[in-house]
Amino acid sequence: MDQALPYSASRSRRLKLLIGGGVIVAALATLIVWALSRPGSTSFYMTVSELRASGPVASSELRVNGNVVPGSLSRSGIETTFAITDGSRNLAIVTDEPLPDAFSTAYRSDPSAVEVVAQGSYAGGHLQASQVLAKCPSKFKARA
Amino acid sequence: MPLEVQGQSLNPLGLGSLAGLGRPSLLAALAFAAASVVLCFLGARRARRDLSDAGIRAAVAAAGFTSWATFCLLTAFFAHDFSVAYVASYSSRSLTGAYTFSALWGGMEGSLLLWALLLTVLGAIALTRASSASTDLVAWAGAVFSSISCFFLFLLAVPADPFARLVAAPTDGQGLNPLLQSPGMLIHPPLLYLGFVGFSIPFAFGIAALLSKRSDDEWLRATRRWTLLAWSSLSTGIVLGGAWAYTELGWGGYWAWDPVENASFMPWLTATAFLHSIVIQEKRRMLKVWNLSLILLTYVLAVFGTFLTRSGILSSIHTFSEGDVGKYFLPYLALVLIAGIALIATRLDALSSENRLDSLLSRESAFMANNVLFLAAAFTVLWGTVYPIVNEWLTGLRLSVGPPFFNRAFVPIGLAIIALTGLGPLISWRRMRAASLLRLLRVPLAVAAVVVAGLGFGGVDSFGALLAFGLCAFTATAVGSEFVRGSRVHRRREGLSWPAALARTVARNRRRYGGYVVHLGVVLIVIGFAGGWAKVERSRELDAGESMRIGDYALSYEGLRSSETPEKQVNDATIKVTRGEELVTVLHPQRNFHLASRQTQSEVAIRTTPLEDLYVVVTAVDADSAIVLRAFVNPLTWWIWVGAFVMVGGMGVLMSGPSPVSVTVPAPRRLSHAAASS
Repeated sequence: MDQALPYSASRSRRLKLLIGGGVIVAALATLIVWALSRPGSTSFYMTVSELRASGPVASSELRVNGNVVPGSLSRSGIETTFAITDGSRNLAIVTDEPLPDAFSTAYRSDPSAVEVVAQGSYAGGHLQASQVLAKCPSKFKARA
Repeated sequence: MPLEVQGQSLNPLGLGSLAGLGRPSLLAALAFAAASVVLCFLGARRARRDLSDAGIRAAVAAAGFTSWATFCLLTAFFAHDFSVAYVASYSSRSLTGAYTFSALWGGMEGSLLLWALLLTVLGAIALTRASSASTDLVAWAGAVFSSISCFFLFLLAVPADPFARLVAAPTDGQGLNPLLQSPGMLIHPPLLYLGFVGFSIPFAFGIAALLSKRSDDEWLRATRRWTLLAWSSLSTGIVLGGAWAYTELGWGGYWAWDPVENASFMPWLTATAFLHSIVIQEKRRMLKVWNLSLILLTYVLAVFGTFLTRSGILSSIHTFSEGDVGKYFLPYLALVLIAGIALIATRLDALSSENRLDSLLSRESAFMANNVLFLAAAFTVLWGTVYPIVNEWLTGLRLSVGPPFFNRAFVPIGLAIIALTGLGPLISWRRMRAASLLRLLRVPLAVAAVVVAGLGFGGVDSFGALLAFGLCAFTATAVGSEFVRGSRVHRRREGLSWPAALARTVARNRRRYGGYVVHLGVVLIVIGFAGGWAKVERSRELDAGESMRIGDYALSYEGLRSSETPEKQVNDATIKVTRGEELVTVLHPQRNFHLASRQTQSEVAIRTTPLEDLYVVVTAVDADSAIVLRAFVNPLTWWIWVGAFVMVGGMGVLMSGPSPVSVTVPAPRRLSHAAASS
């Protein structure tokens, strides 16, 4: 009998631990799934051609990357407009956000080699971007 | 060797480039590290102190050769030896002295060299200083540690040779990225690396404890100060990274949940859990397996952080290179993780707790709740960081996870941690009656209620911000009352004045009160975060003479002054800031073109007060001197930096305290709180 007591005690401990752990894991999973499903938490990558071919897209957040079309860059007030291409099709990007310094740097040295990722919503044939990221060309991968 | 003088003194070291000696000394370091593994292993297996001592001397030699190799690369930088590819890529003739140092870690190869330098040198110090610890523990730790050194030295010898030569040396280098030319960059990366590397010391001793089949906490006591040093460095490094982003990048924020930021944050979270849970092992001999698992996890996450930075697997502004170093990291990580888990699993029986949890309402369970929350936070950040990779695997769809996810998932956990920070110190060890706790909670809860009511009526309308400020008030009061209670005892007993009693209280128990000071620093930082709720941002195009409004401020653009230095073309805007009729300040944001690197870069101008920062940045300049001005009002950001200083101060107090002796907590809590007892 005195053998059984610690055994059952440890079994009930284990059960408690399991239940407690289960509750914690379930709570965390709920929190993460909820946060991921909220608007703006995730954005899908699409190529320019995929986006143009898909027609109207739900207003969810998108990320599109491509090379800047040389000569397409213009600014009026704080609004900047430029076009990007994936080689076959073009997409107009409109943004009120400032372009990153890396963009200006790259555009100044070789306008055709500026690679950007624009994030925003697609409507009216253009992407209204809330964020534009520029990939810094070759600088960080210099391996002459 | 290109040593022709170009205006300035070329080489403060007074030497030519010693780059030719770099690679041989790296190879020598690798050989000594390998010898150290073998000697320490044999010394541990055969219980031969002479062998393990020789192994530790070999680790010291490896540190010496790595230091020498680093010195050689520095001479190449200072001598502008552009025949070395790394020097040509990350420096130029116009780069000034201090930044020539930081160019050392401007790229991947140099960063790895810095990592290896810190690793071998810290390891050598830790191993030689631990000679008072048990021989077998130190011998095993030497073997584990030197094997880590071997991995990083191997990377430097094979895929990431910092001394690789160019066929033809260019006359000038490509210069250091101007973003990296900032005081923050002089100390941010080395501190982060010091933090990452520092955790490999408790890791090595923890694994050594497993290998030597010990179940005591000697490995924890032998490495306590290293753990604290690593944690302090990592914390400071992370905050400095935020400060650097804030003052250099021009987007008005300090933390973007970028994968590489996350990579430094995840080991910080698990390390913080570790720091707390080792207190339980020390006081109550519980959680042994848990602590070993936490340090294993921290080490793996620290190395995973370097892997993320270096592999290019995730896109990030920090991603320097898509070189082939990444492919060496994954097998290494897998090996460490599997071996670590297997080792812990084989020793489960010997590592069982010597005590049980007495009650759910006890300091022990508060510490455990702390651990659960920190691990949950770490997992949340990990999940958000790797979810794009997992999702692409599973569905083939590429997506990215943005800051909104992290804010939504992380903030609730973070606030729970803040609440627990206030609650924990009030709960006694082993068990406590709920009524006693409620009595202690009255004052902090009342203060929190007053703060929330005051702010609510004062116009704070965000639920999250009210909750955050309320919890900060609760925790600050709860922690503050610990100081008051302790001081009161000394005042009464020794007839001291309040400040003297406070000083005595802290000095008598530096570990506990140092910890509380760190917690107060964290509260200040969270106050700064919570201020972000009222952040305001505006952009406008301005001609000279025009002005824009933001918050209570009017910003008038007086004109642009252009000039040229040897390094850059400077466009300096004059922004007059007024509030009502009063001239507040004149700010000078710049938009510059760096000649060597051919990069455009904005220099932010900030007016800081404890209440709010006014932050302006010129994002475009037209030929007719019109500018696009972007302005932010960031409330309470000042408190983040102040909180960081308080944290560092608290860590100093904590570290100056005595190392723990083996004690267990005997009695349940004294309500009168005798401050002098530990």
